[in-house]
Amino acid sequence: MKETLLLTKHMRENPEESHLLKSYEKNGGYKGAKKVLKSGSPELVLEEIKSSNIRGRGGAGFPTGVKWGFLAEDEERYLVINADESEPGTFKDRILLERDPHQLIEGMIITCFAANISKAFIYIRGEYAKPARRVQNAVEQAYEKGYLGKNIFGSSMDLDIVVHLGAGAYICGEETALLNSLEGRRGEPRLKPPFFPAVKGLYNKPTLVNNVETISSVPWIMNNSGKDYASLGVEGSTGTRIFSLSGHINNPGNYEIEMGSSFGEFVESLGKGVRNNKSIKAYIPGGASAPWLRGDQLEVKMTIDDVANEGSMLGSGAVVMMDEDTNLLLAAKSLVSFFAHESCGQCTPCREGTTWLENILERIASGRGRLSDIDLLLDVCDNISPGLTWPPKMTTICPLGPSATASIVSLMKDFRSEVEILLPKKVVLR
Amino acid sequence: MTEKITFTVDGKQLEGKQGQLLIEACEDSGIHIPRFCWHKRLDPVGMCRMCLVEIETPRGKALVPSCTTQVTDELVVETESDIVKKAQEGVLEFLLINHPLDCPICDKAGECPLQDQTMAYGPGESRFIEEKRHFEKPIPVSDIVLLDRERCILCARCTRFSDEISGDPLIEFIQRGNKTQVNTFPDEPFKSYFSGNTVQICPVGALTSTSYRFKARPWDLKKVSSTCNCCSLGCSVELNVSQNKMLRILGEDNEFTNQGWLSDKGRYNFEYLHSENRLLNIQVKEDNDFVEINIADANTTLKQKIEELQNPDVKFVIGANSTNEEYFVINKFANLMNRNEFLSKDKSNVYFADDHLFEGYFGDEYENATFEDLDKSDVIVVWAEDIKDNIPVLFLRIKKAVKNGVKLVVLGHTNTSLEGLADLYLGTEIISTNFELETSLSNVKEFQDIVEDKKVTAIVGKSTPLQQKKSLDALVSQLQKISSTKIFNCFSKANTFGALQHIDQLKGLNEFYNEYDSSKKNIIFTIGSNPVNESFFGPKVKNILQDADFVVSLDIFINETTELADLILPTTSFGEKEGTITNMEMRVMKQNKILPDPGSTLSEWEYLTSIAKSLGKDIEFGSVYEINKALVNEYQSDDIAPSFDNLNKPSNLFGVINRKDIDLNVREVDKNKVSILMVRRLYGDSSTQTNSPSISMLSTERFIELNSKTLEKYGIKSNVANLTQGPLSIFVNIRLNNLLPNDLVLAPINRRGFENLDPTKDFNLKETNNLKELSVN
Amino acid sequence: MSWEVERLDKAKELIEMYPQKRSALGPLLYLAQDKDGYISNDSIVEISSLIGITEVQVQSVASFYSMYKQEPTGQYLLSVCKSISCEISKSSDVINKVKEFTNLSNNETDDEGLFTYESVECIGACGGAPAIQVNYETVEGLTPEKAVDLCKWLKDVKPEIVVADELQQKFGGTKSFDWAVEDNTGSSSPVPSFQSYDTSKGSK
Repeated sequence: MKETLLLTKHMRENPEESHLLKSYEKNGGYKGAKKVLKSGSPELVLEEIKSSNIRGRGGAGFPTGVKWGFLAEDEERYLVINADESEPGTFKDRILLERDPHQLIEGMIITCFAANISKAFIYIRGEYAKPARRVQNAVEQAYEKGYLGKNIFGSSMDLDIVVHLGAGAYICGEETALLNSLEGRRGEPRLKPPFFPAVKGLYNKPTLVNNVETISSVPWIMNNSGKDYASLGVEGSTGTRIFSLSGHINNPGNYEIEMGSSFGEFVESLGKGVRNNKSIKAYIPGGASAPWLRGDQLEVKMTIDDVANEGSMLGSGAVVMMDEDTNLLLAAKSLVSFFAHESCGQCTPCREGTTWLENILERIASGRGRLSDIDLLLDVCDNISPGLTWPPKMTTICPLGPSATASIVSLMKDFRSEVEILLPKKVVLR
Repeated sequence: MTEKITFTVDGKQLEGKQGQLLIEACEDSGIHIPRFCWHKRLDPVGMCRMCLVEIETPRGKALVPSCTTQVTDELVVETESDIVKKAQEGVLEFLLINHPLDCPICDKAGECPLQDQTMAYGPGESRFIEEKRHFEKPIPVSDIVLLDRERCILCARCTRFSDEISGDPLIEFIQRGNKTQVNTFPDEPFKSYFSGNTVQICPVGALTSTSYRFKARPWDLKKVSSTCNCCSLGCSVELNVSQNKMLRILGEDNEFTNQGWLSDKGRYNFEYLHSENRLLNIQVKEDNDFVEINIADANTTLKQKIEELQNPDVKFVIGANSTNEEYFVINKFANLMNRNEFLSKDKSNVYFADDHLFEGYFGDEYENATFEDLDKSDVIVVWAEDIKDNIPVLFLRIKKAVKNGVKLVVLGHTNTSLEGLADLYLGTEIISTNFELETSLSNVKEFQDIVEDKKVTAIVGKSTPLQQKKSLDALVSQLQKISSTKIFNCFSKANTFGALQHIDQLKGLNEFYNEYDSSKKNIIFTIGSNPVNESFFGPKVKNILQDADFVVSLDIFINETTELADLILPTTSFGEKEGTITNMEMRVMKQNKILPDPGSTLSEWEYLTSIAKSLGKDIEFGSVYEINKALVNEYQSDDIAPSFDNLNKPSNLFGVINRKDIDLNVREVDKNKVSILMVRRLYGDSSTQTNSPSISMLSTERFIELNSKTLEKYGIKSNVANLTQGPLSIFVNIRLNNLLPNDLVLAPINRRGFENLDPTKDFNLKETNNLKELSVN
Repeated sequence: MSWEVERLDKAKELIEMYPQKRSALGPLLYLAQDKDGYISNDSIVEISSLIGITEVQVQSVASFYSMYKQEPTGQYLLSVCKSISCEISKSSDVINKVKEFTNLSNNETDDEGLFTYESVECIGACGGAPAIQVNYETVEGLTPEKAVDLCKWLKDVKPEIVVADELQQKFGGTKSFDWAVEDNTGSSSPVPSFQSYDTSKGSK
């Protein structure tokens, strides 16, 4: 299989300068936005996005055209770009921000034109200092050229962009928690209803919250057409997507592909196979929140629906390969520990449950596990996510709690023996 | 939206209102859904997850928190399915894994929602064998509230109350996830007038009061409903008593008045009832010493004195803490003792000891407001004494109304604490330092715009006793001209309105000073009042009392006034007598007796009827019931009569509005310069507070407020200074308040050291090297 | 007023970028931390009056986020990732070696004020696992030995500005993706180097 470069074409062909406005423009950048502002209409843009069938690239996979359609009427509306990429295994937004920030800015201009928005924010996680600098430089270059600010491209549209840094909280990737953080509050998710961002978002005004990759795809869609975009990939997972591949493979990195191939193909042709010729024991198809798939499930296709059918999710597009030597208990512990650390603390099951799960796994890993611990782990998981299904049923406010249970459920479902081996043997008295 | 809808819960059809919260709708129908973080008076947050229920949705059954779900027509709900039960057990297990096994030493045990719900909905055992979370326990977050973070279940009720209801967000969540704790900022303790409410609504023993810690178990307590005596709002309270000692006061949810909340003064000012300084026996002064005598001898002494003085002028200076029944008897007694044969307007002899008394707006041309009107009107207009300090729970009600969209107009300069909430604050631009309107309100465009043609509730009273009524008249008449206005006469002391309703032609202290004729023979009764300490012109009152021929004081402590008496009759106090009181809505509410009369105390009415009898006059009442029966006849007949029987009925437990003609005999004050704006602070040096050890430290700070220009003028650079006036010198802390006019200093009248200041005379402020924290008793 | 004029001017500038004052809380906390190395109580009092919320509300927000430090931090904040991709690429060996060299455990600062060590969650360098950040400048593809070399170098040279590209060249290995052009900007405090907050050091 090969890559199909849409988002990463410009940066691949112009590595030294792809982050600069002059390179972006030389390669056709901002043309689409200029055209749309001059002779297009908001309805036209929305139509193209809808017909592209593009689904949100942050992890939830919600159809973007539908999301844009929900935006309520109001004089004060906002666009917020979710660049809080913190899902373990994911580093695709990083390359877009670092190497081609103008693509994002152009996408934002078109989006704001379509939604009649004049103030936008880019919320970048605080750890992405270099990407943030690149984006800020790009924003300043755009202002200098009159592509941002008042009357951009000489039209009647105004747009101001503020780059805002997060400060180390994964939960701020959740859209309502992000809005709380942007308002200068604790990054705690809000209740939906009533706080659907499209109705009551930033400062209680209608707000569009979209992922970096999603909005970065908008210029290509407008330069070509929604239909063209929809012709790439497969039905239900149209267009291209950047997958972050990491773990025990020879060639980790970001790869932009049309969806539809299998994970196995992906790993072999682009990841150049497993390190040291080992075999895969298990892999994470879509970021730390996703349930694991086994090494014998590599033929699963990399589409949103196919992975969902296997009881997991394509999520943020982060693929992590774990070879036969991996200590899966420690892997699960690392994942659970992540969620316990990142829990915001609002609701009881997640706040108490995730740390409890971490403690139990720690006990097992250090040899102090008990036979009853496996059932205990699964029952605690069940109290956070009843039924242990994916997508999860929740007793919590947001899916972070249930995400913590995903790895434990996978571990016990397919790799129970690896855990049992660490527990004391049952003594049978004769 | 009050459209009625039907929904199904556990197979039963119920009725509810569109938009109502599911948990509340179920509660109204008798179905209890367990919960921790939800509270009827706070915005729901859905954090504890205890109230999860299953509802039918197009996508199958969903597990949702009932406190954040609204009932809709035909909603189908299950509160007892297996999934719900497992979720409940799960949440309780989660809450208990870090909760310490403190029940044996925790105040909350016995009335603890966590205990109760664990018994009813929880798993039988815990499976947690890891180490629990630990914090230092407990830590004081203020002088009166302690915090135990290990017990805290992070329901956020205390933080939400402080943010949403009282507007003092001084307690908040720190850290995140499993490490989250509730705490205050080191330099800013939980100094709120309403902190005690968080102790009451905390569902576990995390927040406790210093006054109640380790004092009793709930099952030891005798409880009775009553009405608070601290201000004219009349909060509904529950008195908790054990072994004849008052141990705790809780707020009751009276929809019409306090809605469950209390100020910390109303909540914690009761320990004085059992103070060793409490007067228990009748005392007569002999050679500057007090000697105990019995009531028969007291009556004889008084009778002899009256005969000796031959037709003396008998005057009464009354306080605000008597019940309506007591005022009724005082009125009768005063009439009997009035040497004027017929009662003419100038000849009435009862004086109310509140400097803020003025003629008020009573009668048919003014409509009296209720607290409900605050929520229902378009605009609230306030020009009165400091509401947050004098009627604290009214501040909460105003804040709530503003939160729900009611506009607020505030006139200065005493309600600066409302400025943050106000849509329009009119201060120094149009109001002079002595509270006159410098321009007609019809010329103030913003005022006209906000008020014109709207429904207005006006809270009107004197900001300072030196303010002339005519400036208030200008406001009221303008409001009546351009809007539809209901009025609260803002008299803040407890049962002021009871006194107004039951004393004929009540006068004020101004009249008392002006009408006193030292050339005549005078007998003065002081009843539950301490004007020597509390009034602006205390020194004048002191002179009068020293000059009078005989002074009889009915009170509970020796204080600056009663120590000047010749005969002291110790009375019963709050919780020791049954009666009714009237609040500023003209709502009559019940006070109940739960404590025995201490020592040889009697009620005020018992003394007066006894004296009357010994004088051969006739006020024959055998019990407080008989008095109540008599006074009921004096109210308007189309209101529900405020009889004890009626008020004890469940439908009337929140009190009944009762209208009665009010005829005040208070004259306009002279125009005066205001140099020092003296205000009453919530915590002061009244004898009840100084004798309540748990809160007495709250009233020790001496501070003044002034604006930065004034500060500059006197060259003060630090935050302490020396305030002087003539021979008086006080060291004070400085607080900046830039809403005050220039050259005006705001000082507390009810703190030690300030009582002899003359508000009309000039003062001086000097830098001082005395940088010690100025807290003196 | 504990902040100097330049910081106050910058604070006002930041506040003006947002429709509501409170949104500037995050950036103001970075301003405080850049100067003092952590969020001091004085800064909290200052920020509280600039924005108009209580001190405990400022502290509530500051203590929620792991990048706002509540205690003084060393000159170099060493953040080693321990999330899944790094974990399965033996980040625990890197962690152990770094802890051993610096003699610090999690969230500790040494007595000289040189290093603060912390184990952190995913920093978005999974393709270059194991990865660490020094003052939020990312270095990817480290071995335990190279990680120790990095620490040694910091200790010996004590560079005023930490530049990611420089560290990557000296001590790094596999990258998550081609970094392409060189960047000479870096950080001199445990705050992300970002020009809007005046924390970006070195040439652009």
